Amino acid sequence: MSLLSVRNLSHTYPNGYQALHDISFDVQAGEFLVIIGLSGSGKSTLLRCLNRLIEPTHGTILMSGTDVTNVSDAALRAHRAGIGMIFQHFNLIPRHSVVNNVLYGSLGSTPTMASILGRFSSEQRQKALQALDVVGIREKADVRADSLSGGQQQRVAIARALMQNPALLLADEPVASLDPATSHTVMDYLERVNKDLGTTVICNLHFLSLVRRYATRVIALKGGRMVFNGKPNEITDEWFRTIYGEEAMEVEIR
Amino acid sequence: MKSLLAFVLDTLLGAAVSAMVLLIIVPELSGWAPAPLSIVPPTLLWVSVGLWRKASIGLLFVSDKNERPLPNAVRAHMGWIAFCTSIVAGWIVTGISPIEFFSGEGLKGAGRIFGALFTPEFDVIGAALDAMVVTVFTALMATIVAVPISFLLSFAAARTVMTGGTHERVIYVLLRAVLNIMRSMEPIIWAIIFSVWVGIGPFAGMLALVVHTVASLTKQYSEQIEDVNQGPLEAISATGAKRLQVLWFAVVPQCVIPFLSFTIYRWDINVRMATIIGFVGGGGIGTLLTQYQGLAKYNEVGTIVILITLVVWILDVASARVRQALR
Repeated sequence: MSLLSVRNLSHTYPNGYQALHDISFDVQAGEFLVIIGLSGSGKSTLLRCLNRLIEPTHGTILMSGTDVTNVSDAALRAHRAGIGMIFQHFNLIPRHSVVNNVLYGSLGSTPTMASILGRFSSEQRQKALQALDVVGIREKADVRADSLSGGQQQRVAIARALMQNPALLLADEPVASLDPATSHTVMDYLERVNKDLGTTVICNLHFLSLVRRYATRVIALKGGRMVFNGKPNEITDEWFRTIYGEEAMEVEIR
Repeated sequence: MKSLLAFVLDTLLGAAVSAMVLLIIVPELSGWAPAPLSIVPPTLLWVSVGLWRKASIGLLFVSDKNERPLPNAVRAHMGWIAFCTSIVAGWIVTGISPIEFFSGEGLKGAGRIFGALFTPEFDVIGAALDAMVVTVFTALMATIVAVPISFLLSFAAARTVMTGGTHERVIYVLLRAVLNIMRSMEPIIWAIIFSVWVGIGPFAGMLALVVHTVASLTKQYSEQIEDVNQGPLEAISATGAKRLQVLWFAVVPQCVIPFLSFTIYRWDINVRMATIIGFVGGGGIGTLLTQYQGLAKYNEVGTIVILITLVVWILDVASARVRQALR
Protein backbone atom coordinates (compact mmCIF):
# COMPACT_ATOMS: atom_id res chain seq x y z
CA MET A 1 0.00 0.00 0.00
CA SER A 2 1.29 3.48 -0.82
CA LEU A 3 2.00 5.91 1.99
CA LEU A 4 0.05 8.61 0.19
CA SER A 5 -2.46 8.38 -2.64
CA VAL A 6 -3.84 11.47 -4.31
CA ARG A 7 -6.92 10.84 -6.44
CA ASN A 8 -8.47 13.36 -8.87
CA LEU A 9 -7.47 16.30 -6.72
CA SER A 10 -8.75 19.72 -7.85
CA HIS A 11 -8.68 23.06 -6.13
CA THR A 12 -10.49 26.25 -7.11
CA TYR A 13 -9.80 29.44 -5.13
CA PRO A 14 -12.76 31.53 -3.92
CA ASN A 15 -12.00 34.08 -6.67
CA GLY A 16 -12.73 31.36 -9.24
CA TYR A 17 -9.12 30.63 -10.20
CA GLN A 18 -8.60 26.90 -10.61
CA ALA A 19 -5.11 26.14 -9.32
CA LEU A 20 -5.22 22.33 -9.62
CA HIS A 21 -6.86 20.18 -12.28
CA ASP A 22 -7.55 16.53 -11.58
CA ILE A 23 -4.19 15.51 -10.07
CA SER A 24 -3.60 11.83 -9.25
CA PHE A 25 -0.37 10.23 -8.04
CA ASP A 26 0.99 7.84 -5.43
CA VAL A 27 3.91 8.20 -3.08
CA GLN A 28 5.69 5.14 -1.63
CA ALA A 29 7.30 5.21 1.79
CA GLY A 30 10.93 6.33 1.61
CA GLU A 31 10.68 8.31 -1.62
CA PHE A 32 12.21 11.76 -2.12
CA LEU A 33 9.60 13.20 -4.45
CA VAL A 34 10.24 16.60 -5.99
CA ILE A 35 7.52 18.72 -7.55
CA ILE A 36 8.67 21.19 -10.21
CA GLY A 37 6.91 23.76 -12.32
CA LEU A 38 6.79 27.49 -12.99
CA SER A 39 5.71 29.94 -10.32
CA GLY A 40 1.93 29.81 -10.18
CA SER A 41 1.75 26.30 -11.61
CA GLY A 42 0.07 25.04 -8.41
CA LYS A 43 3.01 23.47 -6.55
CA SER A 44 2.36 25.25 -3.27
CA THR A 45 -1.39 24.69 -3.48
CA LEU A 46 -0.83 20.98 -4.08
CA LEU A 47 1.50 20.67 -1.10
CA ARG A 48 -0.95 22.53 1.18
CA CYS A 49 -3.81 20.33 0.03
CA LEU A 50 -1.88 17.30 1.28
CA ASN A 51 -2.08 18.41 4.92
CA ARG A 52 -5.23 20.38 4.21
CA LEU A 53 -3.90 23.81 5.07
CA ILE A 54 -5.86 24.41 1.88
CA GLU A 55 -9.12 22.54 1.50
CA PRO A 56 -9.30 20.53 -1.75
CA THR A 57 -12.39 21.33 -3.82
CA HIS A 58 -12.62 17.83 -5.33
CA GLY A 59 -10.84 14.53 -5.02
CA THR A 60 -9.52 12.41 -2.20
CA ILE A 61 -6.28 12.06 -0.33
CA LEU A 62 -5.50 8.69 1.25
CA MET A 63 -2.83 8.52 3.94
CA SER A 64 -1.75 4.87 4.44
CA GLY A 65 -5.08 3.91 2.90
CA THR A 66 -7.19 6.15 5.18
CA ASP A 67 -9.26 8.91 3.59
CA VAL A 68 -8.33 12.22 5.21
CA THR A 69 -10.43 14.53 3.07
CA ASN A 70 -13.73 14.24 4.91
CA VAL A 71 -12.81 13.86 8.56
CA SER A 72 -13.55 15.51 11.90
CA ASP A 73 -11.43 18.33 13.30
CA ALA A 74 -9.66 15.97 15.68
CA ALA A 75 -8.82 13.52 12.90
CA LEU A 76 -7.60 16.40 10.73
CA ARG A 77 -5.27 17.55 13.51
CA ALA A 78 -4.01 14.00 13.96
CA HIS A 79 -3.39 13.85 10.20
CA ARG A 80 -1.47 17.12 10.30
CA ALA A 81 0.51 16.05 13.37
CA GLY A 82 1.84 13.09 11.38
CA ILE A 83 3.14 15.33 8.57
CA GLY A 84 6.02 17.74 9.07
CA MET A 85 6.19 20.87 6.95
CA ILE A 86 8.88 23.42 6.20
CA PHE A 87 8.47 26.66 4.30
CA GLN A 88 10.33 29.06 2.03
CA HIS A 89 10.36 31.75 4.72
CA PHE A 90 11.05 29.29 7.56
CA ASN A 91 8.04 30.60 9.55
CA LEU A 92 9.68 30.32 12.94
CA ILE A 93 8.24 32.28 15.85
CA PRO A 94 10.50 35.33 16.14
CA ARG A 95 11.70 36.40 19.61
CA HIS A 96 11.21 32.86 20.91
CA SER A 97 14.22 30.65 21.55
CA VAL A 98 15.36 28.02 19.07
CA VAL A 99 14.56 25.13 21.41
CA ASN A 100 11.06 26.48 22.08
CA ASN A 101 10.48 26.75 18.35
CA VAL A 102 11.42 23.10 18.03
CA LEU A 103 9.14 22.17 20.94
CA TYR A 104 6.22 23.80 19.11
CA GLY A 105 6.49 20.89 16.67
CA SER A 106 4.92 18.75 19.41
CA LEU A 107 1.89 21.04 19.96
CA GLY A 108 -0.34 18.52 18.20
CA SER A 109 0.31 15.97 20.95
CA THR A 110 0.41 18.37 23.93
CA PRO A 111 -2.73 19.41 25.85
CA THR A 112 -3.65 23.05 25.18
CA MET A 113 -3.35 24.39 28.75
CA ALA A 114 -0.07 22.57 29.43
CA SER A 115 1.45 23.99 26.25
CA ILE A 116 0.25 27.54 26.98
CA LEU A 117 1.75 27.36 30.47
CA GLY A 118 4.98 26.13 28.87
CA ARG A 119 4.79 22.72 30.55
CA PHE A 120 6.52 20.53 28.02
CA SER A 121 7.70 17.21 29.43
CA SER A 122 11.38 16.51 29.96
CA GLU A 123 11.14 13.78 27.30
CA GLN A 124 9.86 16.40 24.86
CA ARG A 125 12.73 18.75 25.77
CA GLN A 126 15.21 15.90 25.37
CA LYS A 127 13.74 15.08 22.00
CA ALA A 128 13.90 18.71 20.90
CA LEU A 129 17.61 18.84 21.67
CA GLN A 130 18.12 15.57 19.78
CA ALA A 131 16.26 17.03 16.79
CA LEU A 132 18.61 20.03 16.94
CA ASP A 133 21.51 17.57 17.00
CA VAL A 134 20.27 15.99 13.79
CA VAL A 135 20.47 19.36 12.00
CA GLY A 136 23.74 20.25 13.74
CA ILE A 137 22.79 23.39 15.70
CA ARG A 138 22.29 22.16 19.23
CA GLU A 139 24.63 24.88 20.49
CA LYS A 140 22.12 27.51 19.32
CA ALA A 141 19.29 26.05 21.41
CA ASP A 142 18.91 29.05 23.70
CA VAL A 143 19.36 31.95 21.28
CA ARG A 144 16.47 33.84 19.73
CA ALA A 145 15.23 32.23 16.50
CA ASP A 146 15.26 35.53 14.59
CA SER A 147 18.95 36.07 15.36
CA LEU A 148 19.96 33.08 13.21
CA SER A 149 20.94 33.17 9.54
CA GLY A 150 18.47 31.96 6.90
CA GLY A 151 20.11 28.55 6.53
CA GLN A 152 20.20 28.04 10.29
CA GLN A 153 16.54 29.06 10.60
CA GLN A 154 15.60 26.51 7.96
CA ARG A 155 17.48 23.83 9.91
CA VAL A 156 15.54 24.78 13.05
CA ALA A 157 12.38 24.43 10.97
CA ILE A 158 13.48 20.92 9.96
CA ALA A 159 14.11 20.11 13.64
CA ARG A 160 10.60 21.40 14.45
CA ALA A 161 9.18 19.08 11.80
CA LEU A 162 11.22 16.15 13.21
CA MET A 163 9.58 16.75 16.62
CA GLN A 164 6.41 15.38 15.01
CA ASN A 165 8.05 12.01 14.17
CA PRO A 166 6.61 12.59 10.72
CA ALA A 167 5.96 9.74 8.31
CA LEU A 168 5.94 12.42 5.63
CA LEU A 169 7.80 15.73 5.36
CA LEU A 170 6.46 18.47 3.08
CA ALA A 171 8.95 21.11 1.99
CA ASP A 172 7.60 24.18 0.17
CA GLU A 173 10.51 25.76 -1.73
CA PRO A 174 12.81 25.15 1.24
CA VAL A 175 15.86 26.78 -0.37
CA ALA A 176 14.26 29.49 -2.54
CA SER A 177 15.39 32.30 -0.22
CA LEU A 178 18.86 30.88 0.50
CA ASP A 179 22.21 31.29 -1.26
CA PRO A 180 23.54 28.32 -3.33
CA ALA A 181 26.01 27.01 -0.71
CA THR A 182 23.43 27.17 2.08
CA SER A 183 20.87 25.60 -0.24
CA HIS A 184 23.02 22.52 -0.54
CA THR A 185 23.52 22.31 3.24
CA VAL A 186 19.77 22.44 3.82
CA MET A 187 19.07 19.95 1.02
CA ASP A 188 21.73 17.64 2.48
CA TYR A 189 19.92 17.67 5.82
CA LEU A 190 16.63 16.88 4.07
CA GLU A 191 18.36 14.02 2.29
CA ARG A 192 19.76 12.75 5.58
CA VAL A 193 16.28 12.85 7.16
CA ASN A 194 15.04 10.92 4.14
CA LYS A 195 17.80 8.30 4.09
CA ASP A 196 18.73 7.92 7.77
CA LEU A 197 15.33 8.36 9.40
CA GLY A 198 13.36 6.91 6.50
CA THR A 199 11.04 9.90 6.35
CA THR A 200 9.29 10.29 3.02
CA VAL A 201 9.90 13.76 1.58
CA ILE A 202 7.79 15.75 -0.87
CA CYS A 203 9.58 18.90 -1.88
CA ASN A 204 8.83 21.82 -4.21
CA LEU A 205 11.95 23.01 -6.02
CA HIS A 206 12.90 25.53 -8.68
CA PHE A 207 16.37 24.43 -9.75
CA LEU A 208 16.66 21.35 -11.95
CA SER A 209 20.28 20.81 -10.86
CA LEU A 210 19.01 20.32 -7.29
CA VAL A 211 16.24 18.07 -8.58
CA ARG A 212 18.72 15.81 -10.40
CA ARG A 213 20.97 15.69 -7.34
CA TYR A 214 18.35 14.90 -4.65
CA ALA A 215 15.10 13.57 -6.12
CA THR A 216 14.23 9.91 -6.48
CA ARG A 217 11.16 10.86 -8.49
CA VAL A 218 9.83 14.02 -10.11
CA ILE A 219 6.36 15.33 -10.77
CA ALA A 220 5.95 18.39 -12.98
CA LEU A 221 2.96 20.72 -12.91
CA LYS A 222 2.01 23.10 -15.66
CA GLY A 223 -1.00 25.38 -15.31
CA GLY A 224 -2.31 23.21 -12.46
CA ARG A 225 -2.08 19.96 -14.47
CA MET A 226 0.37 17.14 -13.95
CA VAL A 227 2.46 16.92 -17.15
CA PHE A 228 5.32 14.68 -16.00
CA ASN A 229 5.75 11.87 -13.49
CA GLY A 230 9.01 9.94 -13.64
CA LYS A 231 12.69 9.63 -12.79
CA PRO A 232 14.85 12.78 -12.65
CA ASN A 233 17.14 11.51 -15.43
CA GLU A 234 14.12 11.17 -17.72
CA ILE A 235 13.74 14.95 -17.86
CA THR A 236 15.19 15.56 -21.32
CA ASP A 237 15.61 18.96 -22.95
CA GLU A 238 12.31 18.34 -24.67
CA TRP A 239 10.51 17.72 -21.39
CA PHE A 240 12.23 20.76 -19.93
CA ARG A 241 10.78 22.95 -22.67
CA THR A 242 7.36 21.37 -22.22
CA ILE A 243 7.39 22.14 -18.51
CA TYR A 244 9.01 25.57 -18.51
CA GLY A 245 8.04 26.87 -21.98
CA GLU A 246 9.91 27.13 -25.29
CA GLU A 247 12.07 30.12 -24.34
CA ALA A 248 13.26 28.74 -21.02
CA MET A 249 16.99 28.34 -20.31
CA GLU A 250 18.23 26.04 -17.65
CA VAL A 251 20.06 27.83 -14.84
CA GLU A 252 22.49 25.76 -12.82
CA ILE A 253 23.00 25.91 -9.12
CA ARG A 254 25.99 23.90 -7.93
CA MET B 1 -13.07 92.16 -27.67
CA LYS B 2 -15.56 89.50 -26.64
CA SER B 3 -13.34 88.25 -23.82
CA LEU B 4 -12.71 91.80 -22.56
CA LEU B 5 -16.45 92.40 -22.37
CA ALA B 6 -16.88 89.05 -20.58
CA PHE B 7 -14.15 90.02 -18.12
CA VAL B 8 -15.86 93.35 -17.34
CA LEU B 9 -19.21 91.58 -16.86
CA ASP B 10 -17.58 89.01 -14.55
CA THR B 11 -15.91 91.73 -12.48
CA LEU B 12 -19.15 93.69 -12.05
CA LEU B 13 -21.11 90.58 -11.17
CA GLY B 14 -18.39 89.46 -8.73
CA ALA B 15 -18.26 92.87 -7.07
CA ALA B 16 -22.04 92.92 -6.63
CA VAL B 17 -22.16 89.43 -5.10
CA SER B 18 -19.15 90.13 -2.85
CA ALA B 19 -20.68 93.37 -1.58
CA MET B 20 -23.94 91.58 -0.72
CA VAL B 21 -22.16 88.72 1.01
CA LEU B 22 -19.89 91.03 3.00
CA LEU B 23 -22.83 93.15 4.15
CA ILE B 24 -24.60 90.05 5.46
CA ILE B 25 -21.54 88.84 7.36
CA VAL B 26 -20.52 92.17 8.93
CA PRO B 27 -23.40 94.63 8.80
CA GLU B 28 -21.27 97.16 10.66
CA LEU B 29 -19.11 97.50 7.53
CA SER B 30 -21.73 99.74 5.90
CA GLY B 31 -20.76 102.61 8.19
CA TRP B 32 -17.02 102.14 7.71
CA ALA B 33 -15.18 104.47 5.33
CA PRO B 34 -12.75 102.11 3.47
CA ALA B 35 -15.48 99.45 3.17
CA PRO B 36 -15.60 99.47 -0.68
CA LEU B 37 -11.96 98.25 -0.73
CA SER B 38 -12.93 95.06 1.09
CA ILE B 39 -14.91 94.03 -1.99
CA VAL B 40 -11.73 93.78 -4.10
CA PRO B 41 -10.31 90.40 -2.91
CA PRO B 42 -13.56 88.40 -3.23
CA THR B 43 -14.18 89.99 -6.63
CA LEU B 44 -10.74 88.93 -7.81
CA LEU B 45 -11.46 85.42 -6.46
CA TRP B 46 -14.73 85.28 -8.39
CA VAL B 47 -13.07 86.36 -11.64
CA SER B 48 -10.07 84.04 -11.28
CA VAL B 49 -12.28 81.04 -10.53
CA GLY B 50 -14.28 81.89 -13.65
CA LEU B 51 -11.11 82.06 -15.77
CA TRP B 52 -9.49 79.02 -14.20
CA ARG B 53 -12.53 76.77 -14.57
CA LYS B 54 -13.17 78.25 -18.03
CA ALA B 55 -16.66 79.01 -16.78
CA SER B 56 -16.95 82.72 -17.10
CA ILE B 57 -20.55 83.76 -16.53
CA GLY B 58 -19.87 86.98 -18.40
CA LEU B 59 -18.93 84.96 -21.48
CA LEU B 60 -22.40 83.41 -21.46
CA PHE B 61 -23.90 86.75 -22.36
CA VAL B 62 -21.52 87.76 -25.10
CA SER B 63 -20.67 84.58 -27.00
CA ASP B 64 -22.33 81.81 -28.92
CA LYS B 65 -24.45 79.73 -26.52
CA ASN B 66 -23.49 76.45 -28.22
CA GLU B 67 -19.85 77.17 -27.61
CA ARG B 68 -20.26 77.37 -23.83
CA PRO B 69 -23.54 75.86 -22.80
CA LEU B 70 -25.13 77.33 -19.70
CA PRO B 71 -25.23 74.04 -17.68
CA ASN B 72 -21.43 73.79 -17.87
CA ALA B 73 -20.87 77.26 -16.48
CA VAL B 74 -23.45 76.77 -13.76
CA ARG B 75 -21.94 73.42 -12.77
CA ALA B 76 -18.49 74.92 -12.65
CA HIS B 77 -19.65 77.76 -10.41
CA MET B 78 -21.89 75.53 -8.32
CA GLY B 79 -19.04 74.04 -6.28
CA TRP B 80 -17.48 77.25 -5.17
CA ILE B 81 -20.82 79.01 -4.73
CA ALA B 82 -21.74 76.19 -2.33
CA PHE B 83 -18.36 76.64 -0.63
CA CYS B 84 -18.84 80.40 -0.23
CA THR B 85 -22.41 79.96 0.97
CA SER B 86 -21.25 77.46 3.60
CA ILE B 87 -18.68 79.92 4.87
CA VAL B 88 -21.27 82.71 5.04
CA ALA B 89 -23.79 80.46 6.74
CA GLY B 90 -21.16 79.14 9.13
CA TRP B 91 -20.04 82.66 9.95
CA ILE B 92 -23.60 83.73 10.84
CA VAL B 93 -24.51 80.53 12.75
CA THR B 94 -21.27 80.52 14.77
CA GLY B 95 -21.78 84.18 15.58
CA ILE B 96 -18.24 85.09 14.59
CA SER B 97 -17.72 88.69 15.51
CA PRO B 98 -14.36 90.40 14.91
CA ILE B 99 -15.85 93.52 16.47
CA GLU B 100 -16.35 91.81 19.81
CA PHE B 101 -12.98 90.09 19.57
CA PHE B 102 -11.20 93.42 19.28
CA SER B 103 -13.57 95.58 21.37
CA GLY B 104 -12.12 97.51 24.30
CA GLU B 105 -14.38 95.75 26.77
CA GLY B 106 -13.38 92.30 25.43
CA LEU B 107 -9.66 93.02 25.43
CA LYS B 108 -9.89 94.26 29.02
CA GLY B 109 -11.47 90.90 30.05
CA ALA B 110 -8.75 88.98 28.21
CA GLY B 111 -6.08 91.01 29.97
CA ARG B 112 -7.71 90.28 33.34
CA ILE B 113 -7.85 86.47 32.89
CA PHE B 114 -4.42 86.17 31.30
CA GLY B 115 -3.03 88.35 34.05
CA ALA B 116 -4.55 86.06 36.66
CA LEU B 117 -3.44 82.86 34.90
CA PHE B 118 0.13 84.12 34.64
CA THR B 119 0.25 85.17 38.29
CA PRO B 120 -0.59 81.75 39.75
CA GLU B 121 -1.60 81.41 43.37
CA PHE B 122 0.64 78.66 44.71
CA ASP B 123 -1.36 78.19 47.92
CA VAL B 124 -3.43 75.56 46.10
CA ILE B 125 -0.44 73.55 44.95
CA GLY B 126 -0.86 70.96 47.72
CA ALA B 127 -4.51 70.28 46.89
CA ALA B 128 -3.70 70.39 43.17
CA LEU B 129 -0.92 67.81 43.51
CA ASP B 130 -3.24 65.51 45.51
CA ALA B 131 -5.90 65.84 42.82
CA MET B 132 -3.31 65.25 40.09
CA VAL B 133 -2.25 62.00 41.75
CA VAL B 134 -5.92 60.94 41.75
CA THR B 135 -6.19 61.75 38.03
CA VAL B 136 -3.02 59.87 37.07
CA PHE B 137 -4.12 56.81 39.05
CA THR B 138 -7.66 56.99 37.65
CA ALA B 139 -6.09 56.75 34.19
CA LEU B 140 -3.71 53.99 35.27
CA MET B 141 -6.43 51.84 36.84
CA ALA B 142 -8.72 52.35 33.85
CA THR B 143 -5.92 51.18 31.55
CA ILE B 144 -5.02 48.19 33.71
CA VAL B 145 -8.64 47.03 33.98
CA ALA B 146 -9.24 47.55 30.26
CA VAL B 147 -6.17 45.69 28.97
CA PRO B 148 -7.19 42.06 29.76
CA ILE B 149 -10.76 42.70 28.58
CA SER B 150 -9.49 44.22 25.33
CA PHE B 151 -6.98 41.41 24.88
CA LEU B 152 -9.68 38.74 25.04
CA LEU B 153 -12.19 40.69 22.94
CA SER B 154 -9.64 41.59 20.27
CA PHE B 155 -9.45 38.01 19.00
CA ALA B 156 -13.21 37.89 18.53
CA ALA B 157 -12.99 41.27 16.77
CA ALA B 158 -10.32 40.14 14.31
CA ARG B 159 -11.64 39.19 10.88
CA THR B 160 -8.80 36.76 10.22
CA VAL B 161 -9.51 34.85 13.44
CA MET B 162 -13.29 34.60 13.14
CA THR B 163 -13.34 32.33 10.12
CA GLY B 164 -15.05 29.29 11.64
CA GLY B 165 -18.49 29.63 10.07
CA THR B 166 -21.60 31.78 10.22
CA HIS B 167 -21.98 32.04 14.00
CA GLU B 168 -18.45 33.39 14.37
CA ARG B 169 -19.12 35.85 11.57
CA VAL B 170 -22.21 37.05 13.48
CA ILE B 171 -20.24 37.47 16.72
CA TYR B 172 -17.57 39.40 14.84
CA VAL B 173 -20.03 41.77 13.17
CA LEU B 174 -22.03 42.36 16.38
CA LEU B 175 -18.90 42.95 18.46
CA ARG B 176 -17.52 45.38 15.91
CA ALA B 177 -20.84 47.27 15.88
CA VAL B 178 -21.02 47.47 19.69
CA LEU B 179 -17.39 48.63 19.90
CA ASN B 180 -18.02 51.31 17.26
CA ILE B 181 -20.98 52.63 19.21
CA MET B 182 -19.01 52.55 22.47
CA ARG B 183 -16.20 54.48 20.81
CA SER B 184 -18.57 57.02 19.23
CA MET B 185 -19.85 57.99 22.68
CA GLU B 186 -17.27 60.35 24.13
CA PRO B 187 -15.84 59.41 27.54
CA ILE B 188 -17.34 62.62 28.94
CA ILE B 189 -20.81 61.20 28.21
CA TRP B 190 -19.88 57.91 29.90
CA ALA B 191 -18.64 59.93 32.87
CA ILE B 192 -22.05 61.61 33.18
CA ILE B 193 -23.72 58.18 33.07
CA PHE B 194 -21.40 56.65 35.67
CA SER B 195 -21.47 59.68 37.97
CA VAL B 196 -25.21 59.03 38.30
CA TRP B 197 -24.61 55.26 38.61
CA VAL B 198 -21.83 55.15 41.23
CA GLY B 199 -21.80 58.77 42.35
CA ILE B 200 -19.45 61.63 41.51
CA GLY B 201 -15.78 60.85 42.00
CA PRO B 202 -12.74 59.13 40.55
CA PHE B 203 -14.49 55.74 40.40
CA ALA B 204 -17.06 57.12 37.95
CA GLY B 205 -14.22 58.65 35.95
CA MET B 206 -12.35 55.36 35.91
CA LEU B 207 -15.40 53.42 34.70
CA ALA B 208 -15.97 55.95 31.92
CA LEU B 209 -12.37 55.57 30.82
CA VAL B 210 -12.56 51.77 31.00
CA VAL B 211 -15.46 51.73 28.54
CA HIS B 212 -13.70 54.02 26.12
CA THR B 213 -10.33 52.30 26.52
CA VAL B 214 -11.81 48.84 25.93
CA ALA B 215 -13.44 50.08 22.74
CA SER B 216 -10.29 51.75 21.46
CA LEU B 217 -7.73 49.14 22.50
CA THR B 218 -9.84 46.26 21.18
CA LYS B 219 -9.94 47.95 17.80
CA GLN B 220 -6.20 48.61 17.77
CA TYR B 221 -5.34 45.13 19.08
CA SER B 222 -7.62 43.37 16.60
CA GLU B 223 -6.20 45.35 13.68
CA GLN B 224 -2.74 44.25 14.79
CA ILE B 225 -3.94 40.63 14.96
CA GLU B 226 -5.32 40.89 11.43
CA ASP B 227 -1.99 42.28 10.33
CA VAL B 228 0.36 39.54 11.60
CA ASN B 229 2.59 37.55 9.29
CA GLN B 230 0.54 34.51 8.23
CA GLY B 231 3.64 32.29 7.84
CA PRO B 232 4.03 31.26 11.50
CA LEU B 233 0.25 30.64 11.61
CA GLU B 234 0.57 28.17 8.75
CA ALA B 235 3.58 26.53 10.38
CA ILE B 236 1.90 26.06 13.76
CA SER B 237 -1.36 24.84 12.14
CA ALA B 238 0.68 22.31 10.18
CA THR B 239 1.94 20.71 13.41
CA GLY B 240 -1.65 19.66 14.17
CA ALA B 241 -2.06 22.31 16.88
CA LYS B 242 -5.52 23.28 18.16
CA ARG B 243 -6.91 26.69 17.34
CA LEU B 244 -6.15 28.16 20.77
CA GLN B 245 -2.57 26.91 20.45
CA VAL B 246 -2.25 28.46 17.00
CA LEU B 247 -3.44 31.82 18.37
CA TRP B 248 -1.20 31.62 21.43
CA PHE B 249 1.97 30.41 19.71
CA ALA B 250 1.74 32.00 16.26
CA VAL B 251 -0.31 35.19 16.74
CA VAL B 252 0.38 36.41 20.28
CA PRO B 253 4.22 36.49 20.02
CA GLN B 254 3.92 38.73 16.98
CA CYS B 255 1.56 41.09 18.84
CA VAL B 256 3.18 41.54 22.25
CA ILE B 257 5.37 44.53 21.41
CA PRO B 258 2.75 46.48 19.41
CA PHE B 259 0.18 45.75 22.14
CA LEU B 260 2.52 47.17 24.80
CA SER B 261 3.12 50.22 22.69
CA PHE B 262 -0.63 50.83 22.15
CA THR B 263 -1.26 50.33 25.87
CA ILE B 264 1.32 52.85 27.05
CA TYR B 265 0.03 55.41 24.57
CA ARG B 266 -3.52 54.73 25.77
CA TRP B 267 -2.52 55.43 29.38
CA ASP B 268 -1.01 58.72 28.20
CA ILE B 269 -4.29 59.59 26.44
CA ASN B 270 -6.29 58.48 29.50
CA VAL B 271 -4.48 60.96 31.76
CA ARG B 272 -5.60 63.79 29.46
CA MET B 273 -9.12 62.38 29.24
CA ALA B 274 -9.29 61.88 33.03
CA THR B 275 -8.67 65.60 33.38
CA ILE B 276 -11.57 66.50 31.09
CA ILE B 277 -13.81 63.88 32.69
CA GLY B 278 -13.19 65.58 36.03
CA PHE B 279 -15.18 68.56 34.72
CA VAL B 280 -18.39 66.51 34.79
CA GLY B 281 -17.80 64.67 38.06
CA GLY B 282 -15.01 62.24 37.29
CA GLY B 283 -12.93 63.45 40.24
CA GLY B 284 -9.27 64.46 40.33
CA ILE B 285 -7.69 67.61 38.95
CA GLY B 286 -10.56 68.32 36.53
CA THR B 287 -13.08 68.57 39.37
CA LEU B 288 -10.75 70.86 41.32
CA LEU B 289 -10.35 73.06 38.23
CA THR B 290 -14.11 73.49 37.76
CA GLN B 291 -14.50 74.34 41.45
CA TYR B 292 -12.02 77.23 41.27
CA GLN B 293 -13.33 78.31 37.90
CA GLY B 294 -16.85 78.45 39.37
CA LEU B 295 -15.55 80.69 42.15
CA ALA B 296 -13.83 82.90 39.53
CA LYS B 297 -10.51 82.35 41.36
CA TYR B 298 -8.40 82.59 38.24
CA ASN B 299 -5.04 82.77 39.99
CA GLU B 300 -5.72 79.31 41.48
CA VAL B 301 -6.99 78.12 38.07
CA GLY B 302 -3.66 79.31 36.65
CA THR B 303 -1.73 77.07 39.07
CA ILE B 304 -3.86 74.06 38.18
CA VAL B 305 -3.50 74.68 34.45
CA ILE B 306 0.29 74.91 34.79
CA LEU B 307 0.34 71.62 36.73
CA ILE B 308 -1.84 69.82 34.16
CA THR B 309 0.31 71.09 31.29
CA LEU B 310 3.47 69.96 33.05
CA VAL B 311 2.20 66.45 33.86
CA VAL B 312 0.71 65.87 30.39
CA TRP B 313 3.93 67.07 28.80
CA ILE B 314 6.13 64.82 30.96
CA LEU B 315 3.90 61.78 30.29
CA ASP B 316 3.85 62.55 26.58
CA VAL B 317 7.64 62.63 26.39
CA ALA B 318 8.04 59.58 28.65
CA SER B 319 5.53 57.44 26.74
CA ALA B 320 7.08 58.46 23.42
CA ARG B 321 10.52 57.43 24.75
CA VAL B 322 9.28 54.06 25.98
CA ARG B 323 7.43 53.34 22.73
CA GLN B 324 10.53 54.30 20.76
CA ALA B 325 12.62 51.90 22.86
CA LEU B 326 10.11 49.09 22.28
CA ARG B 327 10.40 49.31 18.53
